[in-house]
Amino acid sequence: MFFAHGFGCDQNMWRFVAPEFENDFKVVLLDHVGAGGSDLSAYDKTKYSTLHGYADDLVEIGRELGLKDAVFVGHSVSAMIGILASLKAPDLFGRLVLVGPSARYIDDGDYVGGFSEKQIAELLEFLEDNHMGWSAAMAPSIMGNPDRPELGEELTNSFCRTDPEIAKAFARVTFTSDNRGDLPKVKVPTLILQCSEDIIASEEVGKFVRSSIPGSEIVFLKATGHCPNLSAPAEVVSAIRAYV
Amino acid sequence: MSEPGAIGEYEDLFENAPCGYLTLGADGRISKVNATLVAWTGFPADELIGRRLHQFLNMAGRIYYETHIAPLLRMQGFFNEFALDFETAAGERLPVIANAAERRDADGSLLFTALVVIKATDRRRYERQLVDSRSELQQGLKTERETAELREQFIAVLGHDLRNPLAAISAGARILQRSGALKEHKELRVLDMINTTVTRMSDLIDNVLDFARGRLGGGITLSRSASRPLQPVLEQVVDELRTASPQRMIETSFAIDQPINCDRTRVGQLASNLIGNALTHGATDQPVRVGATTEGGQFKLWVANAGEAIPPAAMEKLFEPFFRGDARDSRQGLGLGLHIASQIAQAHGGRIDVTSTAEETRFIFTMPL
Repeated sequence: MFFAHGFGCDQNMWRFVAPEFENDFKVVLLDHVGAGGSDLSAYDKTKYSTLHGYADDLVEIGRELGLKDAVFVGHSVSAMIGILASLKAPDLFGRLVLVGPSARYIDDGDYVGGFSEKQIAELLEFLEDNHMGWSAAMAPSIMGNPDRPELGEELTNSFCRTDPEIAKAFARVTFTSDNRGDLPKVKVPTLILQCSEDIIASEEVGKFVRSSIPGSEIVFLKATGHCPNLSAPAEVVSAIRAYV
Repeated sequence: MSEPGAIGEYEDLFENAPCGYLTLGADGRISKVNATLVAWTGFPADELIGRRLHQFLNMAGRIYYETHIAPLLRMQGFFNEFALDFETAAGERLPVIANAAERRDADGSLLFTALVVIKATDRRRYERQLVDSRSELQQGLKTERETAELREQFIAVLGHDLRNPLAAISAGARILQRSGALKEHKELRVLDMINTTVTRMSDLIDNVLDFARGRLGGGITLSRSASRPLQPVLEQVVDELRTASPQRMIETSFAIDQPINCDRTRVGQLASNLIGNALTHGATDQPVRVGATTEGGQFKLWVANAGEAIPPAAMEKLFEPFFRGDARDSRQGLGLGLHIASQIAQAHGGRIDVTSTAEETRFIFTMPL
């Protein structure tokens, strides 16, 4: 069972969910390059300028571990990354669980993604405002070591730290991506977990994903917001359990 | 101590504190808000209560709150110092810094989340300026790097293109010399002059390129080695200068008996520049004397000439680029020779000293072995 986190965090996203499956599955967690404990030097601007770069990483990890027909659980943008990986390597995933997926965030004609281009541009600028305290020198010790108390005060907001430049690039790739054309190509059984009151991936967006992926199912969670894996882990666990 | 007055004071502290207070219930909806925040946002309390916090943020803040802040709060139980922008009832931006902490009961169930917001218009503007000036600097640095790269290429191409025709002239002169076609004294003198000029020109090109590299690129780089002897290099330099100035005397006394950890080509260039300088400025009827020793852990190379003393005012500027002494001879160069010699000395961790009297002017290069 392969868990992939979305934009804004790292594998800590799954800390209340993944352990529940450890008895029945081999659990694989990753930090996308640029997030969490990943090797920042592996970041390649060109490779990661589209979601395909991230999807290639999933395929590479899957191949390395010899995964076949695995259950893929992807949150937020990683839902689309997982879809791309499954199109690249059809035998890799046997099932897809998409938590809060969106095939396109920006409105386009009749399609409602929830955001305008201007708002996404504002977001990219806004990211700068919250990276003031991020120091490149601190990065190696902060990243991937949120539990080290000796790092003390500097460690406030220690989870999910990301290199600001990479975070910005990832935000751009995420929020300008358009994977609507990839959805009909999905061949594996797919479950969509749709939250209520999710401003990042609205119900409308989730229903679009559901109607575009042939034979997919959608479960509406009571959980609110964009991160049910943190706010309502029990509900997420039981929805996944019922499907796999 | 629970007189009504004290309670009133606490309530006043909550309601009218110089910061905004806000609590979110377990369902994430606003359950309490103080009068300060009501005044700042312009929304009455009953419009705030029951709604979600992100509804009062700008869109960028909403996305950020959902993707970063909310997960962090859940995992860590608190967050500190996040920049957020409220959107006021009047549609204006209210920049704040926010801290928050969760309150949980003994079983770990979330009771509520307390949030403090501090107005931070100036602070946020200041930080924005910092970010802007940093990106300007980075842009400037990038341009600078590109220019530097271009300059390096230019210098390399220039050096190559200047040397090639010179090599052709030199080869032509050599062929004429060997063929024995030129027999007249006057013709042979012209040949000598061609050789002299080629040598000087070649030195000038070296100096110009070194200066350009030193000033515009990464400075003079050395490839040091103590395993090969320096003396043959110095002797060759002297021989070349003797050939170039056949009418002048150059006397040498070398006593090098220890290995010297230096870039031999560069020290040869330094020697050539110092001797060339002595030939240009020294008395033409007196020999230029060159000596080298290894003593007391130091290598010393000195070049001495007779002639007028260097004026005190000129002494200070000797090693500055493009400094040209008051030489009568129009053959003087660009004024880079001594500058580059001193750069080479510095690159070796050494220095060049000068003494100048009516009897003798002496340049002494000293470096550790």
